[in-house]
Amino acid sequence: MTLAATHSLRATRPGPASSFAELDDARLVQAFLDGQSRAFDELVGRYQARLLNFIYRTIGDRERAEDLVQEVFIRIYRHLHRFDQTKKFSTWAYTIASNLAKNELRNRSRNPLVLFQALRKNWEADHRPIQFEDFNSRPDDMFHKRHLRTLVEQSVERLPEHHRVVFVLRELEGKTYEEIADITGCNLGTVKSRLNRARNSFAAIIAPHLD
Amino acid sequence: MDCCEFRERYSDFADGLLEDEAELRARRHLSLCASCRRFHAAFRTGVTALRDLPSVEVSRSFGERLRRRIRHELVVRGLAVDPLSGAVAATLVMVTIGLVAWDLAELRSANRAASAMAVSAMPPALRAPAATPIHRDTIRILLEGFHPFDPVLLVADTNPAQDTNPARFDVPAVWGGR
Repeated sequence: MTLAATHSLRATRPGPASSFAELDDARLVQAFLDGQSRAFDELVGRYQARLLNFIYRTIGDRERAEDLVQEVFIRIYRHLHRFDQTKKFSTWAYTIASNLAKNELRNRSRNPLVLFQALRKNWEADHRPIQFEDFNSRPDDMFHKRHLRTLVEQSVERLPEHHRVVFVLRELEGKTYEEIADITGCNLGTVKSRLNRARNSFAAIIAPHLD
Repeated sequence: MDCCEFRERYSDFADGLLEDEAELRARRHLSLCASCRRFHAAFRTGVTALRDLPSVEVSRSFGERLRRRIRHELVVRGLAVDPLSGAVAATLVMVTIGLVAWDLAELRSANRAASAMAVSAMPPALRAPAATPIHRDTIRILLEGFHPFDPVLLVADTNPAQDTNPARFDVPAVWGGR
């Protein structure tokens, strides 16, 4: 990394932000490596919400997800000079995010305090007063909607970790099988098999509640 | 196609990746099997609900926290000096030096005040006339009682020629004075 890039997230060379907005990811990466640190701002802006949603849907904890997104960007910043620019930047970013999310899930399964916090969070969610978001809907419709939301969130959380990552990448992030294989480091066959199992489990969890 | 095969190939069916012939068989099975229809409907409803979940946004402090972390990262790697922490460090050094100097000055004046108070608390008879020098013979007399043969340590500090103190005390010969 060049010294010019050390003035973190501040421009080292003047340049309109809109010019970065027009660049694709690969050119932004190159601009950053050439010392234009504002290019990194643009990458952060493009990916922060996507990565946050991906990690949040994978681990189910909003605050922790944000911490992990920060960690993703720190790692990107730290290792961007080693990034193979023949690959897609988004795949690399998702790979880092996916690894961090998987580590988090593993650590959680070993940490009784985190399990307790998750239980408490669910309890609080179950006991909070009903919020009427949409006044045009009938109360029973709203109840059904809210019930369905909770149900699908819980169904995703009940999937095994390696199935969940593949499922979220496919259903929520819209990644192709090839991209998922790159992100997770698995071959295509494994991705297909995991996705099929995840979809079957997801449908099996939900089906009894929809009658 | 039976239920087992349908579930095995469900992912490809959902993504529209089955070959034409397999697609037809799957659709035929779906029209005949209530259980698989229910399964397929549950999956579709669930995924639609999942995609409709409100997306989360990063907090307002996200950008600033990230900047701080990157600055810290650079400072740790020695690539940049954090101007804020440099200023804080310099201020701390100045304040420390000031405090030490102030403390020493305070200590000195406190010592002075304490000794003045101790002296004033003494009975007048015991107070030493601070400004009045003790005559060498007085000392000698006082000490020679204990060390009659060697008062040398105490008389070497004055010159007899300059000794003009009217309170001079002549030592009687019987005391062994010289």
